Amino acid sequence: MLLNPIRPAALRSTLSVLALVLAAGVAVAQDRIAIKAGRIITQAGPEILNGVIVIENGRISAIGADVKVPWDVPVLDASKMTAMPGFVEAHSFRGMDRPNENVDVAPFLSVRDSIDPIAFYFEECLRYGITTINVQQGNQCVIGGQGLIVKPFGLTVEEMLVRPDAGLKLSATPKFGFSSATQAQSLRNAFGELRRHLEQLVADAKDGNDRARREALFQGRDLEGEKGKGKAMGGTTWKVDGLELVPRGEVDGKMEPLLDLVEGRVNAYIYCGRAMDVRTALEVARDNGFLARTTLIVDGSCWKAAAQIAEAGVPVVLGAPLTVIERDPITGKETETFAPTEFQKKGVRFAFSSSNSTTESLWFQAATAVANGFTREAALDAVTKNAAEFLGLGKRLGSLEVGKDGNVALFSGDPLSITATVQYVVIEGKQVYDRSKDIRVKSLMEGKIPAGTTPMGGDADAGHVHDDGCGTIGDDEHDAKKDDKDKKDEKKPADKKDEKKEEKKDDKTGDEKKGSGN
Amino acid sequence: MSAWYLATLLVLAGDAKKDDDSRSWTVFADKVYTSVGDALDGGLIRVQDGKIAAVVPGSSAGSGDHSLSVAAITAGLIDLSARVDGGAMSVEQSNETIANLRAFDALDRFDEDWVRQAKSGVTCVMASTYDDAVIGGLSVALKTAGADELVERVVQPDVALRASMGQQPSSRNHPASGRPNDFFARRPTTRMGVEWTLRDRCFEAAYSKNDAARAFPGSKEILSVLAGERPIAIQAWSTQDIRTAIFWKEEMEREGFGRPKLILDAAAEVWKEPGLLVRSGAAVVLPPHPLQGRGGEGSFMALDTAKILNDLGVLFAFSSHNAVAPSARLALQPGYAMRGGLPFNAALKAVTINPARMIGIESRVGSIEVGKDADLVLWSGKPFEATSRVVGVLVDGRLILDPRVKTQEQSEAK
Repeated sequence: MLLNPIRPAALRSTLSVLALVLAAGVAVAQDRIAIKAGRIITQAGPEILNGVIVIENGRISAIGADVKVPWDVPVLDASKMTAMPGFVEAHSFRGMDRPNENVDVAPFLSVRDSIDPIAFYFEECLRYGITTINVQQGNQCVIGGQGLIVKPFGLTVEEMLVRPDAGLKLSATPKFGFSSATQAQSLRNAFGELRRHLEQLVADAKDGNDRARREALFQGRDLEGEKGKGKAMGGTTWKVDGLELVPRGEVDGKMEPLLDLVEGRVNAYIYCGRAMDVRTALEVARDNGFLARTTLIVDGSCWKAAAQIAEAGVPVVLGAPLTVIERDPITGKETETFAPTEFQKKGVRFAFSSSNSTTESLWFQAATAVANGFTREAALDAVTKNAAEFLGLGKRLGSLEVGKDGNVALFSGDPLSITATVQYVVIEGKQVYDRSKDIRVKSLMEGKIPAGTTPMGGDADAGHVHDDGCGTIGDDEHDAKKDDKDKKDEKKPADKKDEKKEEKKDDKTGDEKKGSGN
Repeated sequence: MSAWYLATLLVLAGDAKKDDDSRSWTVFADKVYTSVGDALDGGLIRVQDGKIAAVVPGSSAGSGDHSLSVAAITAGLIDLSARVDGGAMSVEQSNETIANLRAFDALDRFDEDWVRQAKSGVTCVMASTYDDAVIGGLSVALKTAGADELVERVVQPDVALRASMGQQPSSRNHPASGRPNDFFARRPTTRMGVEWTLRDRCFEAAYSKNDAARAFPGSKEILSVLAGERPIAIQAWSTQDIRTAIFWKEEMEREGFGRPKLILDAAAEVWKEPGLLVRSGAAVVLPPHPLQGRGGEGSFMALDTAKILNDLGVLFAFSSHNAVAPSARLALQPGYAMRGGLPFNAALKAVTINPARMIGIESRVGSIEVGKDADLVLWSGKPFEATSRVVGVLVDGRLILDPRVKTQEQSEAK
């Protein structure tokens, strides 16, 4: 990924100024930046022409057409570009080592252990202006584990973190090889087991049996402080009486995330690959008291359950493709339905996700919505504001307003135009992407690899235009260059392998999704 | 508002039958992109009995039962490598060279592919045999909708010969050590064998000119290709396949067999050796943009491939190359290429007049000109933008997709 330190405008001229600044003891804050943009789409009121966005300590401190830039703030001059709030990916299972676990009920797992900060996916996110991603387990699960909300920048998961408790991934669609009935039963049973476990703890406590305590201590769990105290069970549906007798640290760590869900402390993201799965998803969420914190991750074909979803009052995240093609099993006739339209008709709130597709990234999803009759504002909301709100980050993300996170994508033209590309990305006040310095974009877009850099995917051949053409193979100069490159970055071939694996996997899950959607 | 829509709806319902049969329309658009000259502002196109009778710039929208009004119009899109074929049904298992067969005979008039193509703006396609044979059959150019019988939709029969390089022709052939005696036991089983088969058949066909005993089924068709009477479309994804096809062409010329007209189909990696491409004089059909790198047979097509071809002055076209994914649709390909730096007008030509020229049907289709077939695509906004959509399609003057119906659905949604 590309780091491009920007020179403060005021310091551009002479070194003496720098000396003066240092002498005066004024540190040049690295987390301050002013972006001059030709056009600012704020997603909060009217657009601003020739405006400035000032970001301090990661948050927007000023925005408008007549904002004065403090003298010591570095300026990013994008006066011919359009600024947008960074897109928010409401659900994704990319960027991980493996998106799907073998264990079906695994609330104890966290994507923290699975996210690969240098995955190709995060780089692609920057390229398409995505600044926040809700990374969740794959759809092939019963209870997949805990997700994280991250930004696509940083070399460790901790650096990338936006919010740690991003909720739990569940699936109402049968895992590969399972039936719908088994899936529904497994989901219900997971909560049944939690209940039995809690009841056992209470019974043990009443009997003076300290087995749970010994086990907790044996496993090295903390029984001090809050964990040492008992607390009556929260939540709105079912309760286990007497839980206050049990220190919270004694609750089996493997089940604790489910208790968080039942007590309403975290969000739930439930995957529905078919309209029929919606019922199961809503029932489990309702029966266990987390309906209010539920977002459905739906396949487009779930538009048929839009009324049910509207009644339950939960929002949906719509993956690609937004246009659902349905084939009549008897006549073979195909009908096309634009899913967002159907959800909108029923009053369901929705966000778009690009799932695992680069071809259908968030800008493209929004543009497709406009093509199908949505207003620009509604279409852009679905990839910014709405998504942020569903993630519980509505106050921090989704629009450019004073106090919100300084996440800005700068486009060469209108963000929804097919010819516009992301030139700069600023995340929490840091410029983290500069297209002119993006090596891989050169090979993706132009097939060219700048001299002295690593060719795309380690394939030295991919980047060379033989201008002489005409069948010369392996000229010396070319080979020499290649050797040089290999030396420069020895790690790259291994990276390539990972990427390939990841792509393959994504394809596979895509196919499976398609399969279950029919 | 709603009363107005209701009224329109009633009028439509009453006129549905009449509309279905009509081949005469007045179509207005804020912009008409003709594919031959500059775009016309406020263009009115008069369609009479399936042909374009008049194109009038600087007009305003008409009214009446047979008037349509949209944001933009282009000529019908032409896909030289579209998915309308009979798929595996067009693969002859008995032989690797089937130049005497006609792709037309494998087409299924009732396949939903036709509707999908037509409604997405593709009005004319070249249907070929599936690329599991080294030399496939004769391709046919035909409309995707319109007349009831497929034979009436044909623009030109036997318009090109099909061939394929690379792994596909040999991929499902069992090796000698595999299971013998089933009908997949064809040759060749390697890439070398594919190349050899192509050359062997061409040499045999050429020799059969003076030695009738050497003639074989299909040799006549191959001779016509060698003589340049009809083009040959060779599927060649990767650089080495492109080289094979070009070197084959040059070998045929060296041997004095004639000057074949070569179309490189699915030539994703054609940008790598521009010098060789220009020297060969071949035309290029590009596969859909993979955007994230690799396409068929591990090939890599950079996003500016079309721009490179345009700068070189090479005749090129876009195609969906058998793909059915919505993102691989032909109507989106010019947009992706524009993202790679191709100018709008060149992008437009690459889905209209260029493919028509490649197979010699430009006198009937490929542009909006008086006397040509009334194959029109009606757009909701600027063509090829992701924010625009194909809202209407006319094929031979028949309304295949009605822009008025779509408008109502949309207004309901709001």
